[in-house]
Amino acid sequence: MNLAGRLHPISTPLRELASIFARMGFSVAHGPELETEWHTFTGLNIPPDHPARDMQDTFWIKDRKEEVMRTHTTTVTLRMLEKMAKENLTELRTFNPGKVFRNEATDITHEAQFYQIDGFAAAPTGQITLAHLKGTFEQLYKEYLGPDVKVRFRPSFFSFTEPSVEIDCWFHVPGKEGRWLEMSGAGMLHPTVMRNAGLDPEKTQGFAFGGGLERLLMVKYGIPDVRYFHNGDLRFDYAFEEKV
Amino acid sequence: MKVSRSWLQKYFEAELPSIPAIDDALTFHAFEIEEVISDDVIDLKVLPDRAGYGLSHRGIAHELSAILKMPMKMDPLRVPVSAFPPTDKLVITQDDTYVLRHAGALVRGIKVGPSPDWLKTALEAVGQRSINNIVDILNYVMLDIGQPAGAFDVGTLKKDDDVVKIDIRRAKKGEKITILTGEEYELTDAMFVFTDAVGGTLLDVAGIKGGKSSGVTEKTTDLFISVGNYDGTLLRRASQALKIFTDASTRYQNRPSPELVGYGMRDVLALIKQVAGGELVGVVDEYPRKPVARTVSVTRKNIEEILGAEYSETVIEDVFARLGFSFSKNGDAYVVTPPFERIDINVMQDLVEEVGRIAGYDHVATKAMTASGSVPKNEVIAACNAVRDILAKEGYSEISSYVFQDVGDVEMAKPLADDKKFLRPSFERGHMRAIEQNGPNLPLFNAKDLKLFEIGAVWPKGKEKLILGVTHWTPEKSANKKTDAALGAVSEFLSAAAGKPLSSARIGNTLQFEISQLIGVLSATNAKPPSLTYQQFSLYPFVLRDIAVWVPDGVAASAVESIIREKAGALLKRCDLFDTFSKEGRTSYAYRLVFQSMDKTLTDAEVNAWMKVVTDTLHEQLNWQVR
Repeated sequence: MNLAGRLHPISTPLRELASIFARMGFSVAHGPELETEWHTFTGLNIPPDHPARDMQDTFWIKDRKEEVMRTHTTTVTLRMLEKMAKENLTELRTFNPGKVFRNEATDITHEAQFYQIDGFAAAPTGQITLAHLKGTFEQLYKEYLGPDVKVRFRPSFFSFTEPSVEIDCWFHVPGKEGRWLEMSGAGMLHPTVMRNAGLDPEKTQGFAFGGGLERLLMVKYGIPDVRYFHNGDLRFDYAFEEKV
Repeated sequence: MKVSRSWLQKYFEAELPSIPAIDDALTFHAFEIEEVISDDVIDLKVLPDRAGYGLSHRGIAHELSAILKMPMKMDPLRVPVSAFPPTDKLVITQDDTYVLRHAGALVRGIKVGPSPDWLKTALEAVGQRSINNIVDILNYVMLDIGQPAGAFDVGTLKKDDDVVKIDIRRAKKGEKITILTGEEYELTDAMFVFTDAVGGTLLDVAGIKGGKSSGVTEKTTDLFISVGNYDGTLLRRASQALKIFTDASTRYQNRPSPELVGYGMRDVLALIKQVAGGELVGVVDEYPRKPVARTVSVTRKNIEEILGAEYSETVIEDVFARLGFSFSKNGDAYVVTPPFERIDINVMQDLVEEVGRIAGYDHVATKAMTASGSVPKNEVIAACNAVRDILAKEGYSEISSYVFQDVGDVEMAKPLADDKKFLRPSFERGHMRAIEQNGPNLPLFNAKDLKLFEIGAVWPKGKEKLILGVTHWTPEKSANKKTDAALGAVSEFLSAAAGKPLSSARIGNTLQFEISQLIGVLSATNAKPPSLTYQQFSLYPFVLRDIAVWVPDGVAASAVESIIREKAGALLKRCDLFDTFSKEGRTSYAYRLVFQSMDKTLTDAEVNAWMKVVTDTLHEQLNWQVR
């Protein structure tokens, strides 16, 4: 007889998150991990030699200029916006979970490879607003973390959104005091990004968001070290039990 | 950027609120707070969009004024700069591809010395070391209004008939300069330098770092003051190539307005006169490309369509007034002229953000995202999920290993470590490592063989492929045969599920399948995933003990197990029955016990003591016998 194996602690939450997003009209999209500089930076309004490039420590590829390990899955958002332009779609919503890479030293809260849960919603101007972004995250966190969560915005900066916000979530970890946690960056897609994708920013408008998945799971489950996720240790799989 | 409340206070008549209130005001309306350092100092994270004006106390004061509706008692950037006296004692030539504006001043008869207390205190509060009055003044003005400046000892420069000549030019490849801190740098022709045009000495890497030869010392009496603005792209490239990152280069690469140069020169000269005395000979201001004033238009409809909330004209106009944006109405549109330092205001959406953040994002109520019908399935993800379910059912557990390893075809330009230079061309090495890592832990999972899988990208021959890798390993006898059989079975049950023979490639203990052959063939159902709980696992080694006991036929294994569990102590992690047989009216049950502590390595002696209690207790049962 076979004992059942365990899924990786990212696979199960990703399915749950995808189903929550699906109920809000988001399909799942994916794209390559080794990406073009265009989809990672330039097309997202992060031009070469701009200080905004310093916001993400990037793995560049030797002898393959114009390619990078994607630093965020907003790359997939740009690909989907390009698809909208190409196929004359007036609206689209996608959830883009995927592995991303940052060239930084690892410790209990930093890992060079991790998952981002990123996505966007776009539609004719006026239909998808910052208020809908708030609604999306309130529903997401209520369904995923519990009914008591609250969501708030703080001003921020990302080259590919204007306005840009940080999304904080009030979450009460059982046995601990409730607190505000910084969960995701977001904002309204920048007109330059729309134009770069081949869309008319006067006609199409939308929001985009992106945040780390491991951080969300660490908060939800009380996991102390981000490095457990990708070091291949089965003890981590077995640390999760199905709730009965 | 470190900001001092007492420094900010000079901009206000009324007393500023406490640091926590300032923290709150900035957090929800302008900047992220990196750290509250004291009851006077906070460290702000000024992101690139606002760095053109926000890397200064004046910029932060202006934000606070807008947020807290506290008028500024004076704003240096709104006090026009009077014309500087000209001079023919200073001649400056400059390369306009790099220099957007440069003002140079000649000051004679100053006295270099320690800074007055107010200046020392102000700088030290924000973590700057006081050096001397001249250097401190330059730092103060930079931290106050955001304009960097430099000072050179005129006594070290050669003159042409009493005329100081400065050339700001492209460096020649191989030219060398020793910077203020003593290190020597070799330059390239992508960099720009200040040179003494008479003597030919290199004085400064323009906009990045001053040179040692003309640095201000106690003996300095005459100064050449330089206040500039340089091409952000070229300066950033030079700074990165040299790996010299200074407060000045940070500000310049964020492209502050060249208008700021005049204000910077005015403030530096005023402070030098006040603190170090001397006499201004004159100023040479070269400003070849004066930017034209921008206007940006926005309508109330734009604002409401983007933010998804209602904003009255009163609110919108109040925000503009608080930010010091002048505007006129053209039909529905507000035609806004941002102040010169607000280089971040370029498109309609920038104005929408200003209204959103100053009015406060609490004003944006949530709107539900409704969806009609179901969303299209992502067949790649659905195939991956189907494979996961099948493999888990067959006893395989999923891992995630690193994409970076020591061999491969795609090399990182700057790898994280020597053994992480390449992208993996297959799962081979990652899974070999997983075997080494997890093999010894099999008893923790009560497993005889290690059964792993991973779905992820690999880069064989440099091209990205999404694959499944299934790995089998066992420490038991005839391991290779068992692995061959297990992987053969994997191929069979996956092919059976797919309804077609799947192609795969075997590397070592791993069988790899390209996911592409499963797309549209295997597709997971959308069953609601289970809720999970997490229990931290021990990072310490475990200790194994086997125990077998004869009991009269009819005694259930559970009876034996409950005694073991009761007597073995709190650190018994597992108790697994691994062998049962009956002979002559007796049954033998054999258990494998796993002991593990959450916070230390267990010793044999400790475990032996617990095992003795277990053994003794089992012996005490009528007709039981530990083998």
